[in-house]
Amino acid sequence: MLSNCQSLLQTITVGIFMLDVDGNITYCNPAASAITGYSAQELLLKPLSFIYNYKGDTTKLDYELGLALKKGSLISEGWKTKKGDGKFWAEMILSPLYDDQNKWTGYSCILHDISDKKRKELEVRENEERFRLMVEGIQDYSIFMMDPHGYIMSWNEGAKRITGYNPDEIIGKHFSIFYRKEDAESKKPEKELKIAIETGRYEEEGWRVKKNGSIFWANIAVTALYNEQNALIGLSKVTLDTTERKKNEEALLQSEERYRLLVEQVADYGIFMMDEKGRIISWNAGAKKIKGYTANEIIGKYFSIFYPEEDILKGKPADELKIARAEGKYEEEGWRIRKDGSRFWANIVITAVYNKDGSLLGFSKVTRDLTERKEAEKALRESYNRYRLIANQLKVSNTELSDANEELEQFTSIVSHDLQEPVRTIKSFLQLLDMNLNERQTADLKNYIHKAITAANRMKELIQNVLQYSQLSKVEIVKETVSVNELFSEALQNIKTSVEASKAQITIENEVATVQGNRIQLVQLIQNLLTNAVKFSDTKTPEIKIKCRNEEGNIKFTISDNGIGIAENDVNKVFEIFRRLNTKKKYPGTGIGLAICKKIIDRHGGHIWAESKLGKGTTFYFTLKEETTERQHA
Amino acid sequence: MKKYKIIIVENDEDEQLFMKEGFASTGLFEIIAQVLNGDDLLDWLEEHQSTLPDLILSDLNMPGKNGYDVIELIKGNPAYRHIPVIITSTSSTKTIIDKCLAKGAADYVVKPDTFVQYVPYVKELYNLIEQKQLVK
Repeated sequence: MLSNCQSLLQTITVGIFMLDVDGNITYCNPAASAITGYSAQELLLKPLSFIYNYKGDTTKLDYELGLALKKGSLISEGWKTKKGDGKFWAEMILSPLYDDQNKWTGYSCILHDISDKKRKELEVRENEERFRLMVEGIQDYSIFMMDPHGYIMSWNEGAKRITGYNPDEIIGKHFSIFYRKEDAESKKPEKELKIAIETGRYEEEGWRVKKNGSIFWANIAVTALYNEQNALIGLSKVTLDTTERKKNEEALLQSEERYRLLVEQVADYGIFMMDEKGRIISWNAGAKKIKGYTANEIIGKYFSIFYPEEDILKGKPADELKIARAEGKYEEEGWRIRKDGSRFWANIVITAVYNKDGSLLGFSKVTRDLTERKEAEKALRESYNRYRLIANQLKVSNTELSDANEELEQFTSIVSHDLQEPVRTIKSFLQLLDMNLNERQTADLKNYIHKAITAANRMKELIQNVLQYSQLSKVEIVKETVSVNELFSEALQNIKTSVEASKAQITIENEVATVQGNRIQLVQLIQNLLTNAVKFSDTKTPEIKIKCRNEEGNIKFTISDNGIGIAENDVNKVFEIFRRLNTKKKYPGTGIGLAICKKIIDRHGGHIWAESKLGKGTTFYFTLKEETTERQHA
Repeated sequence: MKKYKIIIVENDEDEQLFMKEGFASTGLFEIIAQVLNGDDLLDWLEEHQSTLPDLILSDLNMPGKNGYDVIELIKGNPAYRHIPVIITSTSSTKTIIDKCLAKGAADYVVKPDTFVQYVPYVKELYNLIEQKQLVK
């Protein structure tokens, strides 16, 4: 039995000492040497304080021995020293020892090295402490612990900041303190707690109340906490004040809503969205007004529904999307079709719409009905054209009026000058006759009479020509189909006497059978030109060439002579009425002949002009329009 | 009393004769030339650069260069521009008178009723020139 006890003492891993009544070591087992590093010899007779933290700390030893003696046992934990500088964390149990006679003999001391256990414990505690400090320090989140009934057990900075409560105000209170009255009354906190306990978690967003009574929008998460034995030890609650975020979200929503309403209510523009394939996904009032479809009818349809068949066959809608996708935008004007099948002229803009990441969301399309504008433009253009027509008519009337005025002025000039002059001459010679007869002078009488007769003849000629001229502008000319050859022969017949007298050589080259015109006037015209050609021949024998040919739609007449010609400066004056470029004596005339020619050609809608050089002959040209003529057969 | 040197432009030879008599009997003018039209006038002026007239009296209605042409020729030539041109004609129509003045005629005098009444015409012409100081 004793050897058994001895063996136990020798092998046990717990250090065992025996002390005398003063605390000196009287026995130690091998484990005690192993724990302390000292051999039994080194330890024996040393006070137990030899291995204390402060070596030889007899004060503490005496105190502890006293306590052990008094209480019957003393358990203490603390540092003990090893041989050298080492130390170890030990659990020490001191108990008084008594002999058989119940006489106090000393103490037993059991020393247990629990350094490893202590280290682990310290590590855990350190971790927990770090974690606690971290949680407590978090500012933005309210994080606290509740017991399973919802009473608050811990409190962090964030909780204080968000709710306004200090830890000493809130710890021990039920968490329903953060709920609005109506929520608390409807047992909302308890329900949340129940859900968290049953499902492990409860999350929501909702209104919560601060210490000062104000409310905030909170995002909360309640999590049930279980220990290793799976027993519920409480709940954590994390709360985030999202009032600001909610405000921003609401503002965004409101702005989006406002924008959506705005777009939806725009009536003059058709505005709608399409997905990336061209299917309609939104529809506004303007689109309904312009195209006739309601949102229900059209959403989901392809936007090609608005295009004329021809455009669809050409693949135009798809091409437009392609361009919009490639260039960001497609714009054009063109015909589109309403629900009732009617057309309208549209201005359209298709814009590719991308999200923040740059991927295509779809397209927006804005359509404007330009039909009214086009019609207004058309009406404006038509009215402009109408006014222009009227203006042109007025211009024509104006020209006619001013021509009439000019003619009136010419007539004034004719009457005041050309007709008055011969009358004055006649009167002058009659007066001279009268004076001479009174004075019985008869010498010059015959001469005076002759001069008066000449003047009277001239007067008659003038009156005839003036009447002829004025007659030309009075009546509407009657056109008929006239043979050109006949025109020439008739004119030549009329001036036969003067032609024969001058021995003029006249040649005719005519390629044209007939013209449309007034026969009498055209004969007069040709006759006047031929008369001039014969008259202004100086001393030479007149050579006169008459030609008529079709030139690019105009019948062109040419009458050329080898006569005296006209000075270059004067060529344009020849058609002025009463304009005589040569003196009366050499080439008598009234100055009306070419004016009559000009008038006739004007009345026929043709042109007349002269080319000449002084002394080199003159060529007169005049044209008639072909549309009123026929070509002579070859 | 100043005697003005005058050129008369008139195509009617009978009229020229009577005009000459009328001017001569008054002694108010010295006729330095009588020409038939504007063409002849120019020829004369070119030949007599050193003895230019004080004034030109021109008929309006003439074959060749007429009265309007005479005004333009004289007023368009720096050498002759200073010579006043007075137009004389049978017409008393205002539009014709205005046209002559607009072209640069110094004045316009209507011819006498007949050739035989040139004496009072010449006297009136002289008075007109004096009054209006047409000859500088």
